[in-house]
Amino acid sequence: MAPPEVHHLFHHPIADHSFSADRQTLAVARENNVELYNKAGGAFRLKDELRGHDKTVTGVDIAPNTGKIVTCSQDRNAYVWEPSPSGWKPTLVLLRINRAATCVRWSPSETKFAAGSGARVIAVCHFEEENDWWVSKHIKKPIRSTITSVAWHPNSVLVAAGSTDGHARVFSSFIKQVEDRPAPTAWGEKLPFNTVCGEFLNTTAGWVHDVAFSPSGNALAFTAHDSSVTVVYPSGPEQPPKAIVSVNTQLLPFMSLVWRNESEIIAAGHDCEAYRFQGSEQGWQLTGSIESKSRPGMDGAREESALNMFKQLDLKGKTKDDTQLKTVHQNTVNTIRVQAGSPENVTQVSTSGVDGRVVIWGL
Amino acid sequence: MSQVNWRTINIDALDPDSAANFDLSTLTPGLVPASAADVQSLAGQIRQLLRGGDSEGALRGALEMAPYGGDEKAKDIHLATVMEIFQSIRQSEMTPLLTRIYQSDGGTELVDCLMKYIYKGMAQASPSSGSKGTMTRQATGGFSQIQGRVGAGEGSGHTMGVLLSWHEKLVEIAGVGCIVRVMTDRRTV
Repeated sequence: MAPPEVHHLFHHPIADHSFSADRQTLAVARENNVELYNKAGGAFRLKDELRGHDKTVTGVDIAPNTGKIVTCSQDRNAYVWEPSPSGWKPTLVLLRINRAATCVRWSPSETKFAAGSGARVIAVCHFEEENDWWVSKHIKKPIRSTITSVAWHPNSVLVAAGSTDGHARVFSSFIKQVEDRPAPTAWGEKLPFNTVCGEFLNTTAGWVHDVAFSPSGNALAFTAHDSSVTVVYPSGPEQPPKAIVSVNTQLLPFMSLVWRNESEIIAAGHDCEAYRFQGSEQGWQLTGSIESKSRPGMDGAREESALNMFKQLDLKGKTKDDTQLKTVHQNTVNTIRVQAGSPENVTQVSTSGVDGRVVIWGL
Repeated sequence: MSQVNWRTINIDALDPDSAANFDLSTLTPGLVPASAADVQSLAGQIRQLLRGGDSEGALRGALEMAPYGGDEKAKDIHLATVMEIFQSIRQSEMTPLLTRIYQSDGGTELVDCLMKYIYKGMAQASPSSGSKGTMTRQATGGFSQIQGRVGAGEGSGHTMGVLLSWHEKLVEIAGVGCIVRVMTDRRTV
């Protein structure tokens, strides 16, 4: 397995990151701005900065086909940035929320995006040509607390959301001005806007950190603050799900997860490394870390001279330097995203975290 | 005109959509109500198991029947029962016993519950761990040697020692995830 590609960008937390479709441009949310890095040789160099938000940016997403960037922030606004000859042109999107926006994602069709917020709503936004204006529609019921994450179904109509009220929910965000009536799925047939297609609570009712649909869209995975990963298999409209499989791990909670294929999930979080889960409707299990701990230079068994030992003892009162974690990330991983491969067979993922690193992993 | 300090108005109470006007119990998992009398009779059965030497069965039963839906009194009675079980199990038996429970069906749920009782026990033991604790320990010191059991002697200092060794053994087996779940879980013991 190739060693992970580590890019230490700065010493600030990265709230969210997104790569362009060709993987040459990297957008990271750093404090109130979004920084754009371009790949030059093996490294990423700062090329541009998207300034506009006046509070911490919480979400950034680059649409793979149109190249538009959507950002959202604690200042309760979202911007859509379009490339133009004179640089990036921002368009303000009024989300009409009275609390911070927490996360934002383009739909696969790229005509809509969903932004979660602390105002207990999901703002689903689409562009209205005649007014030259992004319009926001709210998914409100029955959300009782902050939305922490949103994820789109491949059909661009269903949107899943995780919330601090302990629920992962699946909603319809069908907007008839911009899309055709979707084909029926296991989640539902008739899908007017704000239909609740599923509502799932895990046993402890802990915060849900992240949600994700499987590549086919026929399963939903979510991770909660009780260190668990739960996978839900719906059986059909208006019926209880076929199976809800929950894995309680021995680890710290996971902040983010992606599906590698229908039977494998990669999740990462407070343990500062990514873990692999494998399974099916019959059951899921944690199968281990995606990091191999035997990387050169990380074994910690360096040649110790007697002089060095006493020097360390004198300086620090101990002989071993244990200020470094054994993982590549030195702090919580916030976001994990697909980097390469098809949705059914992901070959690379990228992670970013509080330590200011973006790391690309081969699977 | 009277001065209204608008900064102190609780606007959440006036907003019908506000979380302040919402019954939060619907957000937590459904709990089976348990009365103090039920818990009391359960305690009797568990003591019987303990006397019969089946400490694993007693612990398992106590954890499976934890009165999540009970009131304060029911929870206190059950805590006392669980503490009794804790103190009746020898330190050398803890690890194999916990491993067996953890690896059985639904074992993670049980050890999470066990961890909740360890923390609750610590919360109860700590306020009185001052001079009073040492005195009782001295008074019953001889008694504990006759019993020959860990923690059979009274005193919160001793109880804390027992709880800490349970905690250590449990974290070795169930990991830090177990602690996180105790903090996260809305079902309290």
